Amino acid sequence: MAHVTFPFPFPEHLGLLLPEMIIAVMAMVLLIWDLFIPKDKKQWVAYATVLVCIVTAVAVVQVTTGLSTTGFYGYFVMDPLASFAKLLILLATVFGVILSFDYMKDEENMGEYYCLMLFSVLGMMFLVSANNFVTMYLGLELMALSIYVLVGYQRNVLRSSEAALKYFILGSLASGMLLYGITFLYGVTTSFSFATIGPALGVANESAHGVVMLGLVFVLAGMAFKVSIAPFHMWTPDTYEGAPTPVTAFISVAPKVAGFVIFMRILHDVFPEIQVDYTNILVVLAAITIVVGNVAAIAQRNIKRMMAYSTVGHVGFILLGLIAANEAGYTGSLVYLTVYLFMNMGVFAIVILMRRDGMDGELLDDFAGLSKVRPGYALAMGLLLFSLAGIPFLGGFWAKYAVLLPLIGAGHLYLALLAIVFSVVGAFYYLRVVKYMYFDDARVTFNFIENPAMQAVVIVSTLAIVAIGLYPDPVMQLCKQALVGFI
Amino acid sequence: MESLYNVLGFPILSLSIFLPTAGALFIWMFVKDDAAVRWATLSVSVATFVVTLPLLLSFDHTTAHMQFEELHPWISSFNINYALGIDGISMPFIVLTSLLTIVCIVSAWRCIQTRVKEYMLAFLILETTLIGVFASLDAVLFYFFWEAMLIPMYLIIGVWGGKNRVYATLKFFLYTLGGSVLMLIAIMAMYFKTGGSFSMLAYMDYPFNFDWQFWIFLAFFVAFAVKVPMWPFHTWLPDAHTEAPTAGSVILAGILLKMGAYGFLRFSLPMLPDASQYFVPFMVFLSLIAIVYVSLVAMMQTDLKRLIAYSSIAHMGFVTLGTFMFTEIAIEGAVFGMISHGFVAAALFLCVGVLYDRMHTREISAYGGVVNVMPVFAVVMMFFAMANVALPGASSFVAEIMVLLGTFNPSPEAMLYMPFSMKWVAIIAASSVVLSACYTLWMVKRVLMGDLVKDEVKTLKDMNVREFSFFAPLIVLVIWLGLYPAPALDLLHVTVAHLVDQATSSKLADAALIAQGAAAHLTGH
Repeated sequence: MAHVTFPFPFPEHLGLLLPEMIIAVMAMVLLIWDLFIPKDKKQWVAYATVLVCIVTAVAVVQVTTGLSTTGFYGYFVMDPLASFAKLLILLATVFGVILSFDYMKDEENMGEYYCLMLFSVLGMMFLVSANNFVTMYLGLELMALSIYVLVGYQRNVLRSSEAALKYFILGSLASGMLLYGITFLYGVTTSFSFATIGPALGVANESAHGVVMLGLVFVLAGMAFKVSIAPFHMWTPDTYEGAPTPVTAFISVAPKVAGFVIFMRILHDVFPEIQVDYTNILVVLAAITIVVGNVAAIAQRNIKRMMAYSTVGHVGFILLGLIAANEAGYTGSLVYLTVYLFMNMGVFAIVILMRRDGMDGELLDDFAGLSKVRPGYALAMGLLLFSLAGIPFLGGFWAKYAVLLPLIGAGHLYLALLAIVFSVVGAFYYLRVVKYMYFDDARVTFNFIENPAMQAVVIVSTLAIVAIGLYPDPVMQLCKQALVGFI
Repeated sequence: MESLYNVLGFPILSLSIFLPTAGALFIWMFVKDDAAVRWATLSVSVATFVVTLPLLLSFDHTTAHMQFEELHPWISSFNINYALGIDGISMPFIVLTSLLTIVCIVSAWRCIQTRVKEYMLAFLILETTLIGVFASLDAVLFYFFWEAMLIPMYLIIGVWGGKNRVYATLKFFLYTLGGSVLMLIAIMAMYFKTGGSFSMLAYMDYPFNFDWQFWIFLAFFVAFAVKVPMWPFHTWLPDAHTEAPTAGSVILAGILLKMGAYGFLRFSLPMLPDASQYFVPFMVFLSLIAIVYVSLVAMMQTDLKRLIAYSSIAHMGFVTLGTFMFTEIAIEGAVFGMISHGFVAAALFLCVGVLYDRMHTREISAYGGVVNVMPVFAVVMMFFAMANVALPGASSFVAEIMVLLGTFNPSPEAMLYMPFSMKWVAIIAASSVVLSACYTLWMVKRVLMGDLVKDEVKTLKDMNVREFSFFAPLIVLVIWLGLYPAPALDLLHVTVAHLVDQATSSKLADAALIAQGAAAHLTGH
């Protein structure tokens, strides 16, 4: 249990919640503090948010024991997997907040923006620690509601509001489907607890196969919505394009980490008895996702939209590890999520840095000639794009490798072939951006944002991708460690 | 860990692989001025060449064992090792790579004036990946270098290439990537089949059954056939060659094409002998198309670089033909042909580069009577044209005659699935002697010979010392290997004999024997 000792009597298990408590309390403190800060000093809230994330990360490390500990009558689980996911989410949040520094400073009510980010992180942290459908749903909704607002934060910008509305409506629909599925599972097992439903489903599947299948299908559909698995990905392009770009960067990574970790938990803890059924569904979903993501991205001229479809493609790959459904497969998915975090954050950071006249460097044309104007950015962007395309010596190659190998080991050779062939299709649109940067001449002039912290995000992401590409073993070991107590 | 065979007791292969990249990093960070960048890059490439020389000089040609071996765990989660080692087949290519890189850098001295630093860095990084491919003994490491090569090459063609460079470089990248990914899947499948190993040497020993060999052969075939390139996967090459800058074409023709044929020799033959034998008719058929049809296509080209590109495909047809005869003379001829073609094709592209720097056109019809104004150049180009035709005295003659001899007298294993005698194949292949003479001599006639009609051609200046300097070593090597090939072939003998032994002994018998042995063990006999 927790290494932390408290100087006063403390309820059992409450120590497990230390990171969540820090986030929750600090989010509310910042919300009030914001009211007393002069208008030109609102940046302090952003710096404080980074600090809160770092303190929380330390707390997460503190409460991690290398064992799986459940608390609160089994509603909450703290295991290495949850800790790993929380650290990834916090890292993505730190990046997201830093990317907002200069971008959002002219917006109104900046304090609330950062507090909403913290609330969504709180939701994600509960989500990855959920061991019960009730906890899971609460975490999911807290995350989603905060993000709806973040997406629509530029309320004077039409497409931002439109994006938020679309995301909200489709997201609510997905939540409804998820709840609907949960009720079926509750109906046949009379429980919300993962640990209870799991074994009980085997028996229930014999007697009430149809009801179990309905529950499975609706739960999968709900989850698929949240992590943008095709054909439930419709909201992704519009939302990514319309949201303020730092929010796009944030929601392209953090909720995906949270979503996939809880997806992993549900598949492994709730549905092990009907693995054959869910595998069949996931194989089809993964195939559609990889095809749709990679093909649709080709047609995009806006890099945020392109990255949205690229995300769909990558989500398909992360799903492959879940289909393999063994230690190596889950490790692969976690490796992919880690590498993906750095790749996406790096790319969006460059998009944000290229801001001019209130617009980002959003269109692909805007990248023309970047290698002459800013060779450093072009090099970083090039490496990140090659990594997204899965070319070695970059991290993206090992991410694909780490999910494909277990997939083949699990006997899904055809799916692996399809995935890898469409990754070649995907390489085309990443290379096209490299083409604009390196082969074309500049057409527009930029006022680059010169902010050392934001540039640091680019540098850190790129270095991480190169380092993982050259020596991926530490990351792979780390992800394997994260599954102790889960598998 | 088993003891490693490394006579130098020093990680010389790692040094050869990473010296260019280390140099590139140094130049990237500390060298600013264009002229300084050129000299620094040249020094790094010469240093790399010097480092690779001990591979040639200390090479033990009495053993087929891998030499200068290195082995370190790299990614322990997947049992991937940083395993290096070379034998008689891979060693010449490493030396060839380091030599041609110097030539490339010297040839780019004047004609690359924009983004000099990036250009030089791309070549040094490319050199790292190329040497890495030939030195790898771990399948994933091999794939790692094989694909990493695409990034610098994509930029070299795309940034410094000709008018249609974007199309050409994308086509090159996607074709090669598309072919290679199937190889990755095949490697992963072999990993599980062999119980968790990525060692290429372990794959050579593992008795894959015929179904496995069949499918893995096809997966590897796509990867290698795109790279060689074999008809009908060759369409990227003329585009890439035409649009690439001179040095890009040199490295493409000199080294990159050899990676595909090397793949057949390193993977298909020793790991999948039964499938290789099964596919002999198929490979022979494609090789003949490359030799005959592609030669005819070459004849009709109006662009100098396209013509040489098609001629490269035809010559690589000879290499794949020799590879699948499973006799020592044919495979040695194939390897020798690759090295020889590395010199000759590289030199021909350099010749085009010399002309292009002056005239800025590659159209054959824009030239004529060049001999009158550039006599030294004309001699050099004539020499390499003759070598391209495989005239006796040139290294390519030795290679072609060996392949043809091998084809007339193939090993019985190569004949297992052949519907008709290999003599007919040899006769058709021998037509290349005429066909290559046709397109090469016609090209020479239209470019070098004739009267001086065109005004632009009248003002041409002959080659300078720098330009001659990169032809000189190639001329010496072509003549030396053509007149006295024995020392070079000596390096190959034992390795190739071992390879022939692997390619001609069926793994199916092994599998049956092993099953028998297991059964005997179970019943207690």
